[in-house]
Amino acid sequence: MIKLVNVSKEYIIDSEYTFYALKKANVEIKEKEFVSIMGPSGSGKSTLMHIIGLLDKPTTGKVFILEREISKITDDQLSTLRNEFVGFVFQQFNLINKLTVLENVMLPTIYCRKELDFDPTDRAVEILENFGLKGKMNSYPNKLSGGQQQRVAIARALMMKPKLILADEPTGNLDSKTGHEIMMLLEKLNKEEKITIVLVTHETDIAAYAKRVIKIRDGEIV
Amino acid sequence: MKNIIFIFKSAIDDFSRNKLRTFLTSLGILIGVFAVVVLIALGLGLKKYISDQFEAMGKNTIFLVPGRILSGGGFSGSASSFTGSFDNRDIEILKRIDNVVSVGPLTLKSIKVNGLIKEDFADIMFSSEVLPDIMGFEIETGRFFDKTDVTKRAKVVFIGNKIATDYYGSAENAIGQKVTVNNVKFMIIGVTKSKGGGGMGGPDYDSYLYGPYTTGYIFNPDKKFFRLMVKTTNENYVAQVKEDIKKEFLKRYEEEEFSVVEPTELLSAITSIFSVLNLILVAIAAISLLVGGIGIMNIMYVTVSDRIKEIGIRRAIGARKSDILSQFLAEAVLLSSIGGILGIALAYFGVFFAQKFFPAYIDLLTVAIALGVSSAIGITFGVFPARKAANLEPVEAIRYE
Repeated sequence: MIKLVNVSKEYIIDSEYTFYALKKANVEIKEKEFVSIMGPSGSGKSTLMHIIGLLDKPTTGKVFILEREISKITDDQLSTLRNEFVGFVFQQFNLINKLTVLENVMLPTIYCRKELDFDPTDRAVEILENFGLKGKMNSYPNKLSGGQQQRVAIARALMMKPKLILADEPTGNLDSKTGHEIMMLLEKLNKEEKITIVLVTHETDIAAYAKRVIKIRDGEIV
Repeated sequence: MKNIIFIFKSAIDDFSRNKLRTFLTSLGILIGVFAVVVLIALGLGLKKYISDQFEAMGKNTIFLVPGRILSGGGFSGSASSFTGSFDNRDIEILKRIDNVVSVGPLTLKSIKVNGLIKEDFADIMFSSEVLPDIMGFEIETGRFFDKTDVTKRAKVVFIGNKIATDYYGSAENAIGQKVTVNNVKFMIIGVTKSKGGGGMGGPDYDSYLYGPYTTGYIFNPDKKFFRLMVKTTNENYVAQVKEDIKKEFLKRYEEEEFSVVEPTELLSAITSIFSVLNLILVAIAAISLLVGGIGIMNIMYVTVSDRIKEIGIRRAIGARKSDILSQFLAEAVLLSSIGGILGIALAYFGVFFAQKFFPAYIDLLTVAIALGVSSAIGITFGVFPARKAANLEPVEAIRYE
């Protein structure tokens, strides 16, 4: 489903020094997989995730999403892929605080150009209810606990029925009990909804939820 | 469509959270739109006022004025309506021209009026019996002087409404009273209905006395007139009669010594002068719109910087560059439109009060233009900040703290 071929990401610091966030990485992620990308901070795992999630482009190398080479598609098409194909879950939750929980979850549908096969409000309400957030729909995200906010973020990621969820240190801001609850939720989505999950983490026990672990150090897959 | 509604809804949500900032940002546009709309309203009022003054004279009237008063649509620099004058022979010439119904000469004299309740100087116009018709006067009490009065050189006058009320208390009181002009006693035989107006733009016809020009010879032994009024059969003959008058008068006078004008020509000349003045004022007021636009641009840059993270989030969940662009553009347009709408509302208020002193009015076109211009300012000054927002790299925006 996703294939990275010799992907490098370089940052030119000055004329003498170039920093490689990613060096000739080759990664392939298959449909319905649960993969974790593990490495210490600064290892390039977030860069890898941003490239997989189409938020960033590699300096060299090729990225294929559903057999399409992303350097050949337009910015609008990338936006559409992010909208319909990928769901993001971030360490910082990244909810928009001036929008209510319900509005946050429904936000991706606003940017969808195609006809939806579901009613946005109904679907958002259904997911939030399943996540135990029934009473919080009209609250603002900053009034919720970390665990609740992360659940809202996952609900938002699920809204467009994505094939892939990218979770960037989703438990990083949560206590370990809540963290494991979130992980179990992701695990369930992988098992029951057959959604591909790519998880970025530096914690071994969190990475253990995945069926496959890709280790990265200093920008290189090891 | 849902997108547009959502964009405007979120912009309005945002404004209601920052009411003071929204108001202050719109204030520049508000003041600019207010100033422009009020000035246009005053200009329109002035135009209407002037044309009302001239309208009464009728479209089939031609004036002969000594000297050159109009050239190329405006007043000429050396304009002077008091150099030279016309005489009785000119009247005879005019009367022989085809389609001329009547000719009315005009002389002016300043006199002292000893009224019942007031004594002051006023002007008396000496003319013929065609004057009320040409000027569009209507009688309130008594009568105008007629052809017989003119032939008999009767010592009678009819007076403007304001003269009657100011000097005699009422129109009824004035009838039968005597006005002494250089020891010559004139009897007041009529009072006109008020034509209103006066002040700027045109003469106040309510503040004159009117007597037969033949009687006026007592004070005008040379029998010279500073204006001649010509009435044609109907307005279709005005152009032809004008040409004929020019042809005839060129036999007696040089080209610069007389002008043949229609009231509408004078009207358009005066109007064009005021229009230019008005345009200059409006242009100056429009500068504040520019300043207001820059204020919006400034605050939009601040807004974009404040919301880099939000832009990153939106991009991550699938917003296109154009979605971000339209979001910020919509906010800028909304900001300036709010200013525009409030400015128009305030202008209505201002004009409402101005109407107590002046016939200012706001027409629909002005409102439409004001709204159009204020949203155009929003687009013009909002597009740069909005483009900055749209062109942010998603990955950098979302990492921004």
